[in-house]
Amino acid sequence: MKIICLIKFVPDVENFKYDYERNVLIRENVRMILNPDDACSVAFVLKIKEQHPDTVIELVTMAPQSIIPQLEDLLRLGVDHASLISDKAYVGSDTYVTSRILGRYLSEATFDCILTGTHTLDGDTSHVPAQIAELLGLSQLSNVVEIDEAAFCHESAVVMVDEELSYGKYEIPLPAVISLRKDRKYKLPYIKYAELSRDVKDRIQIIDNAQLGLATEQIGIGGSLTQISSTFVKSMEKKERRIVRNDEEGIDLVYSFLKERGFV
Amino acid sequence: MSAETLWNGLREILSEEGQINTNPDDLYDAAADRYKKYAKARNVLDVPTPLAIVYPKSVEEISKLMRFCNENLINVIPRGGKTATEGGLENWKETTIVIDAELLNQIIKIDEYNMQATVQAGVPLQTLEDELRKVGLTTGHSPQSKPVAKYGGLVATRSIGQFSTLYGGIEDMVVGLECVFPDGHVARIKNVSRRAGGPDIRHIPIGNEGTLCYITEVTVKVFRYYPENNRFFGYLVKDIETGVSVLREVMASGYRPSVARVYSEEDARQHFYHFYQDHCVLIFMAEGNKGIVEATAKGIEEAVEKYQEGIIEQVDSTLIEDWFNHLNWSQQDIDDEIEGMIENDSHAGFTTEISADWETIPKIYYNVMSRIRNEFPRAHDLTMLGGHSSHSYINGTNMYFVYNYSIHCAPEDEMRIYHHPLQTIIVEETLKLGGSMCHHHGIGKYRNEWTKEEHGSAYYMLEKLKEAFDPNGIMNFGTIFPQEEGIKYQK
Repeated sequence: MKIICLIKFVPDVENFKYDYERNVLIRENVRMILNPDDACSVAFVLKIKEQHPDTVIELVTMAPQSIIPQLEDLLRLGVDHASLISDKAYVGSDTYVTSRILGRYLSEATFDCILTGTHTLDGDTSHVPAQIAELLGLSQLSNVVEIDEAAFCHESAVVMVDEELSYGKYEIPLPAVISLRKDRKYKLPYIKYAELSRDVKDRIQIIDNAQLGLATEQIGIGGSLTQISSTFVKSMEKKERRIVRNDEEGIDLVYSFLKERGFV
Repeated sequence: MSAETLWNGLREILSEEGQINTNPDDLYDAAADRYKKYAKARNVLDVPTPLAIVYPKSVEEISKLMRFCNENLINVIPRGGKTATEGGLENWKETTIVIDAELLNQIIKIDEYNMQATVQAGVPLQTLEDELRKVGLTTGHSPQSKPVAKYGGLVATRSIGQFSTLYGGIEDMVVGLECVFPDGHVARIKNVSRRAGGPDIRHIPIGNEGTLCYITEVTVKVFRYYPENNRFFGYLVKDIETGVSVLREVMASGYRPSVARVYSEEDARQHFYHFYQDHCVLIFMAEGNKGIVEATAKGIEEAVEKYQEGIIEQVDSTLIEDWFNHLNWSQQDIDDEIEGMIENDSHAGFTTEISADWETIPKIYYNVMSRIRNEFPRAHDLTMLGGHSSHSYINGTNMYFVYNYSIHCAPEDEMRIYHHPLQTIIVEETLKLGGSMCHHHGIGKYRNEWTKEEHGSAYYMLEKLKEAFDPNGIMNFGTIFPQEEGIKYQK
């Protein structure tokens, strides 16, 4: 079985420092990390590969080449190979153009299933998975919180979807695009000490626009028709953090806290 | 020796309830210090746990304990406030006891006229400071660990405080002490203003890191406290070299501000993000009686004026004062970091502190930065890399390298993948240019591979001290002195 994980590297916005006095984000020194929802999809396929070693995993990402060290770490975890779609001409592409670029590559690729995250930390529009599915003529499901490992096969996948007020269980025929949402049960494993220095460069292919052959006017800022009318920085309140002990006082405090907010 | 035999032996010496602790959680906690803080928090320590933690109440009990351990080849780890950061409290032996100073908690005397105070080893620095403040005095000693650290540990590790440029390190404050050697001998070094009675033997126990003796009592100098006179100064400077030049000018002119620091841009970002504007930050604090503060303030302003080409702008002094008032880490901060390490694949970072003369410090700084960025295989995981000079002397200063990283490995591998390779680069570059690899944290167990290089031909003296005072090698195995048996825990 071959599974493609469509992943994105994003600024680590969850670990931004926040200046509460001026109510602004401190943007300096922000690192790129694997989008948490996407990390769940990689974690899931690694579990599948552990159970079925003949599973082939390919990562596909559109990113600058500076993220190669992060890609190498994912390969060291057991991913078979990675395709890095990278071209300066793609800078400024909106979600539709991004989907078109990724879709062009994927239309030539072979796979049984495409896994993605549902949301990204930076954009959070959730456009790309659905648009890619549309371009490839596949079914797509978002907000998937669990994929039944035992039932996962060439023909179909059984998934649990968070539908806000309840969870729904669906069987989706494969190939399809399944978009996971960050969940505790899918956590990337640690890289083994012996693997850390393993040279995996030959398992990364870099693909540029010359290979994909998209017209210049269809890509980058020029090809992107999305217009952003305004952006804003979400304001945050500093929350008081309090650690309590497992004693009468601590239990009372936690109970009152939950009661105040209507949880109990 | 079996654990049961050891416990029986301890019971004969320590008869009171609660003096012997064999609680598994406490023994696990005693197996390592803040060097392996992340692995410890994640419950994956790879070192043996001690067999007991004991809490003696008197020097006589310590003497008996030391004799018992010496005769039965039991490794002894002396322990105070548990704030060690370099593995000094880590255990590398199966048969080990930790002698904790918790019950040696008496302030014996505050001698206002002779400006000295005598305390037992387990007295927290903060406790003495609080008592002294009531009578208008101060210890002058203020490491970040002040709310937690205890006197025995401060002296045993050659601790230094944030106001050291005025008051000195702990070695400048200790006037006398009492300590116990492995054979049970109790040595008292009397408290005098100065002496020329042969070599200054205070410096055998000071900084011994528990490898030669157990410190039981300390007498330190105390100072008059004039907080109302404190003045703060802050400047944005164009680079670390300019900052070091101003520090040198102040020191070489004979001034002693209590605080004299320069931060690199990266380090300034995490401390002064609200005003640093992507520049290095230079700060001073003038402290003492009014006349001294006025003269020191004038000296600082003259030094800044001399290097005005490298000064970008002056910072509002209240920002510096406010920052200083929130610098120390409390037990709550330590507990919060542990909670964070359990929940996330991250911690609050590490430091390595070195020292050298004025002209060498900038060279070491730039060499280290360059090597780490170009050679460290996990450089892409670094989330912070910078440094600051925070303790200055007439002939040089220190550099406190500060770094953090996102952790992409198992908790048990973290040190050998991240911190140790980074520390190795810092130590190698420092020793190459003739600096000291440890400015104030002590050698502990993870810089012992360079102890011989640090001391060169003078290592002979250190080695002979160990042979003379601890011939059976029972004191804090692996600390300061390299041990082949310990390499498996280091790499």
